[in-house]
Amino acid sequence: MQLVSVDVGGTFTDIVSVEDGVIHTTKVPTDLVDSARGVLKGADEVGVRDALVFNHASTAGLNALLTRNLPKVGLITTIGQRDILDIGSNIRPHEAIADPRWRRSFGDANRPLVPRYLRRTVPERMKADGSVFLPLDEDAARREIRVLGRCNVEGVAIGLLNAWTNGVHEQRLAELVREELGDIPVVMSHAVSPVAPEYPRISTTVIDAMMKVIYGDYSGRLQNGLSERGFTGSLNFGDCAAMLAPVETAMDRPSRVVFSGPAAGTTASAHFGRLIGRGNLICVDVGGTSTDVSIVLDGQPIINTSLELEPDMVVTTLSNEIASVGAGGGSLITVGPGGEIQVGPGSAGADPGPACYGRGGVQPTMTDAAVLMGILSPENFLGGKATLDYAAAVRAFESLDTPLSFEQRVQDAFRIGLHNIAEGIVDIVIRNGVDPREFSLVIFGAGGPMLIPSLLDMVKVREAVIPPHPGLFSAIGLLSSDMVFMESQSLMIPLDESAVYAIDAVFEKLEQKVRDEIGSNSSVAKFVRTFDARMAGQAFETAFIDAPDGDIGTRQIEEMVAKFHAVYEQRAGNKFESMPVEAVTFRVQAVVEMPKAEFGAVPRRTEGTPQPIGDLELKYLRDGEKRTGNRFERDDLLDGDVIHGPAVVHERLSTTFVPAGFVLQVGSLGEFVIELEAKK
Amino acid sequence: MIIDESTDRIRNLTEREFEAEYGASRYTCNVLANRSRFVAGHMSTNIVTRAFSPIISLNMDYVCAVVGPPELDYPLVGMNQGNFIFLGSLATGVRKTVEEFGVDRLAPGDLLVSNDPYRVGNHVNDACFIRPVFHGGRIVSFTVIRAHMLDIGGIIPGGFSLFKKNVYENGLVVPPMRIFEKGEPVKEVLRLFLDNGRFAATLLPDFFTINSSCALGDEQIQESVERYGLDAWLGAMRYSLDSSAEAMRRALQTLPDGEYEGEDVLDTDGADSEEIYRFHVTVIKKGKRVEVDLSGSSRQARTSLNATPLDAQTSAALGLKVLLDPQTPFTSGTYRNIDLVIPPGTISSAMPDASTHFYWEVQAALVNALINALAEPLGSRAIGGLYGSTNLHTGSGMTPDGRPWFSAAELEAQFGGWGATDAGDADGHTGTFTLNQRLTPTEEIERRVPVLLTAREYIPDTGGPGKYRGGSGFRKDSLFLADGDHWLMPLHFRFPSGFGVNGGKAGRVGGSWFFENQDPDKPECEYRLVGATDTDGVVVSGVVDENGALDENGEFAFFARVPYWTENKGSTLRWITNGGGGWGDPFEREIEAVIRDVRDGYVTILGALRDYGVVVVGDPDEDPEGLTIDEAATAAARA
Amino acid sequence: MAYDRPTELLVNQERVPAKGKCPECSEEQLFSYPVLSEGGWFKVVKCRHCLASLKRESDPVGQITIFSATI
Repeated sequence: MQLVSVDVGGTFTDIVSVEDGVIHTTKVPTDLVDSARGVLKGADEVGVRDALVFNHASTAGLNALLTRNLPKVGLITTIGQRDILDIGSNIRPHEAIADPRWRRSFGDANRPLVPRYLRRTVPERMKADGSVFLPLDEDAARREIRVLGRCNVEGVAIGLLNAWTNGVHEQRLAELVREELGDIPVVMSHAVSPVAPEYPRISTTVIDAMMKVIYGDYSGRLQNGLSERGFTGSLNFGDCAAMLAPVETAMDRPSRVVFSGPAAGTTASAHFGRLIGRGNLICVDVGGTSTDVSIVLDGQPIINTSLELEPDMVVTTLSNEIASVGAGGGSLITVGPGGEIQVGPGSAGADPGPACYGRGGVQPTMTDAAVLMGILSPENFLGGKATLDYAAAVRAFESLDTPLSFEQRVQDAFRIGLHNIAEGIVDIVIRNGVDPREFSLVIFGAGGPMLIPSLLDMVKVREAVIPPHPGLFSAIGLLSSDMVFMESQSLMIPLDESAVYAIDAVFEKLEQKVRDEIGSNSSVAKFVRTFDARMAGQAFETAFIDAPDGDIGTRQIEEMVAKFHAVYEQRAGNKFESMPVEAVTFRVQAVVEMPKAEFGAVPRRTEGTPQPIGDLELKYLRDGEKRTGNRFERDDLLDGDVIHGPAVVHERLSTTFVPAGFVLQVGSLGEFVIELEAKK
Repeated sequence: MIIDESTDRIRNLTEREFEAEYGASRYTCNVLANRSRFVAGHMSTNIVTRAFSPIISLNMDYVCAVVGPPELDYPLVGMNQGNFIFLGSLATGVRKTVEEFGVDRLAPGDLLVSNDPYRVGNHVNDACFIRPVFHGGRIVSFTVIRAHMLDIGGIIPGGFSLFKKNVYENGLVVPPMRIFEKGEPVKEVLRLFLDNGRFAATLLPDFFTINSSCALGDEQIQESVERYGLDAWLGAMRYSLDSSAEAMRRALQTLPDGEYEGEDVLDTDGADSEEIYRFHVTVIKKGKRVEVDLSGSSRQARTSLNATPLDAQTSAALGLKVLLDPQTPFTSGTYRNIDLVIPPGTISSAMPDASTHFYWEVQAALVNALINALAEPLGSRAIGGLYGSTNLHTGSGMTPDGRPWFSAAELEAQFGGWGATDAGDADGHTGTFTLNQRLTPTEEIERRVPVLLTAREYIPDTGGPGKYRGGSGFRKDSLFLADGDHWLMPLHFRFPSGFGVNGGKAGRVGGSWFFENQDPDKPECEYRLVGATDTDGVVVSGVVDENGALDENGEFAFFARVPYWTENKGSTLRWITNGGGGWGDPFEREIEAVIRDVRDGYVTILGALRDYGVVVVGDPDEDPEGLTIDEAATAAARA
Repeated sequence: MAYDRPTELLVNQERVPAKGKCPECSEEQLFSYPVLSEGGWFKVVKCRHCLASLKRESDPVGQITIFSATI
């Protein structure tokens, strides 16, 4: 049985093929011109003739959004509401709060997604209860649509006020667009995201319309290309929560898959955690520029109902909650005004990269610090495929303008960078109200194993786990999850007996919609109902509360209320059972189980001890820290091996650093479990 | 006494000198200075994800801070990046509260509270919570939260009335008291708050959340002291303060020596239209020292349009930071070289028993006056003026089917245009520098309040013209579906707020109107949707001609000529906000940018010629991409 | 304590001339007045010319005496 996943990133495309527990990973440069061609190139790398599934993710849409290399899409909205997309939710990001030069990144004064002249308004108005206050003026609407036609828009988003309560005006407008402009992508807000309030819904609608244009006939080309290569399995997309959707379903609502890369890492962790018997995880994915932190609770990733692509640029779709900390392997080391060392948020990026890569970088980075400290060894880097320029790293640190000694610079840089990441981890732990002592850090991303084990004691977690293939672990996420079909609908209703019929009706409607989407698979699907709700007077919702199956009666509603209070207490630490509860959004998901990646067992060591491949000499440590130890090769290690720090373990795409005072133990799937020595 | 004035003393310290001075290495001080800010950030994460009141959880009307111990004189060393309205009150307010209560009476797990503006600044709704952090029997820090209490009693629900004449009409004043003792709630003090405020059920959980957030900060500070030692913790605080002072001094070096005057003006205090309120700011800058003198400012108001000196200190420091150094973190060291001279009894330094409920309006005007004062010396670094007032609205009444309705601070015009800068055009819908709040979504308002928000759209030719354009003014229309009474508090429609800089022009001044429904028996479907250019409303505030249309040579209409506005269902409340100031000579604006503005409806064809000297040809509405430039006519117009 | 509203429309800070010579710039135009700065209120004597402080005395009370705090 072969499973294949391809993750098309901005620079590299990661390809993973799993066959009978053997994981084969590879990387090719991304095809920036034709994203489908890039994916097919990935397919060629591993062969797909016998593949059961081909799961993939692409950042083509996301990159188009972030670079504003966007198709021309028009927005039709309610009279008087032309500027919803310029205003957003009005909040300034923290770093800009006192900055007079700040402008909203997607505002008209900066880089709007839809310039104001393509945002057209039509006389019509729905009230909050779904009744019509002002009927749609079709003649005026046609005039506005023709203006969009004159401007040659490639797609149209329709987002009217209160449309989630009544979509008839949006439907009629969609018909008029088709009549006037022919067969171009048209997206209606009440269909793509039938939830309040207006800004996130309309933002999602616009982004969905743009993704439709960008991906265009993508699925067709991809499917044909794969068929030509003999592929007969199922072709799926990973979404923002790394759940899978058949490519047609994904392309029907492409806003769902706009940001799938980081989510996959969390899902891969959850899957791997299940295999090694750990349900509570803090996932730490170290990239070049930043570190993504997310949480898996009782085996399930924590999920948000929306996602920010830039500050306040919102897509309403389920997504794994991920916090990004501005420190990674390529983070630049600079000097603050008092002569102190600072790390990030600037980054050397992929080009030129750290100074030690010898590609013209002159500013020091975290990776350069690791080279100077002796953690990364110039001979063993990337399995010997690449060399590191030690002298360039030295020059980079020497160039810093500070009274600190050379030794102090390197030592401070490494530790300050770790502190920044540790504070980011602490913050997401507080946000989710979990106790880190019951959690394992799962460390991945090429730079993760080199940096993160050292901060184990700062964040007070149980242990750190480094899975096999940490450099490509995220890509395994697409082979770690199930196929999920879903629909949701806002319905704001107090949870008391008066709500019985309305809730029944909304679940029934949603389930029917989901069934229609799944088609023949619906018999094997497991249906899951959830709802989002809040207490009276509360301004935010508690999401993903389980709802009972079957008919909803008074008893079931009582059950929902009780469930709400229990979940609220679990997440917020307080319980207010006397407060009335109001439901806000209802959701139905149908889960179709998919085959998942297996990790081959590593043989247990029966005799001897792991043999080092060389000596380790560390520099620039704190006084009194042990500086000498051994270097190992990951492939040489067996189940049950124990290595005391300081030590370094090399593998093809990353390097694990076990500091003094820590101990590494190899598990049955080849994972490293690192703990404080004192705890053993 | 001579204050240290160097701008690079810390950088030039050798490692040995540094340790001798601060009791720890540069690295440790750096880590711990960051730690104070992170702790404040973690406390903020805790409160914002758990608070009940929308004003905390959504509008983020709170601040979390770490304040140093008495032996360091209660300095502010770390705060989260939220609203800046509380800045000035933190250090001095904490000292006042703790000293009055008695440092010696404090025990681990205590939480003090006080909300008296004359002790801790701001207004009575902004309660100040203080938890001492003990280590080895000694206070090593305080964790502090200031948070807006949804209601604290007083003459109007929520408290947002301009017309409160004194502190007694404000609501409950709480002197320094212990609201938690050794971690346990002091029930009688909680009852004092709950029995005096409306919405008690929403308030109660917030007290517990605030206590748990302060406790979280306490725990994290103790961990750091444990790990690095008390000397390092205290030394890092001094380092943090000295760093801020140096950063401000460095920033001040870029301002030429001199005496600079600037002003902003609020229309009235709401008591009558005779007395205009002036915010006069003189910035005297000599070397690395600065005096910000508010002499020549108006006396205190008769209403709640007042602030305390601590609030004025917020504006002085924030204004200088916005102009000269927006990025480095704020501590009380930032004030070190800034002396605020503020005569007693001004609108920014009101004396008891005046009410300071609308202190944020005073703060915004002060920041605008300071920006105005430094426009000349800063040259190309100057920034245009902002939109002025937050124009609050409170309304209540009965729906046609007999249910009461209430709405506060959502059908106002709280946001507006910023001034342009050397970075380019400005946004048209943003908060003041002191505030950073979420816009309540229309669909959320319309579910609760019998109203339709029928317009929130930019108006052409309102942003201050310039090489870079100021933020546009916008029109916000609310059509009421029920009878009601409306309290309106527009404070900046008499004079422009968005002054231009560096050759830029001022943004247009707005106003406020009611378009009344004279026939209350009309069915809803016949209610009038007021047109964008209609002018037949009753002017609430603004400088208008005899027909009620904006006219800079017209008369000022005084909004408080009636105590509140009683309106039939079917009436529309209209706001037009002030445009932000332009930056640079508008005739130097790139022609492409002018065409784009005409295409996008930010500038009309007429405005392009008048304000920018650019002759645009075509129909921007029907054929936006078909616009062209008459180059010869443009060259002539710009000559 | 309740204070009266000032009678004058615009209010100025009184600066009382002080005797002496600025140690930094040797000017003799010295004034005594209160300021708000890092650490709260101070009574200062400052040089008008270079703003150097000859005296800075902390004043924890500041402009307002709160009656109830005096008990």
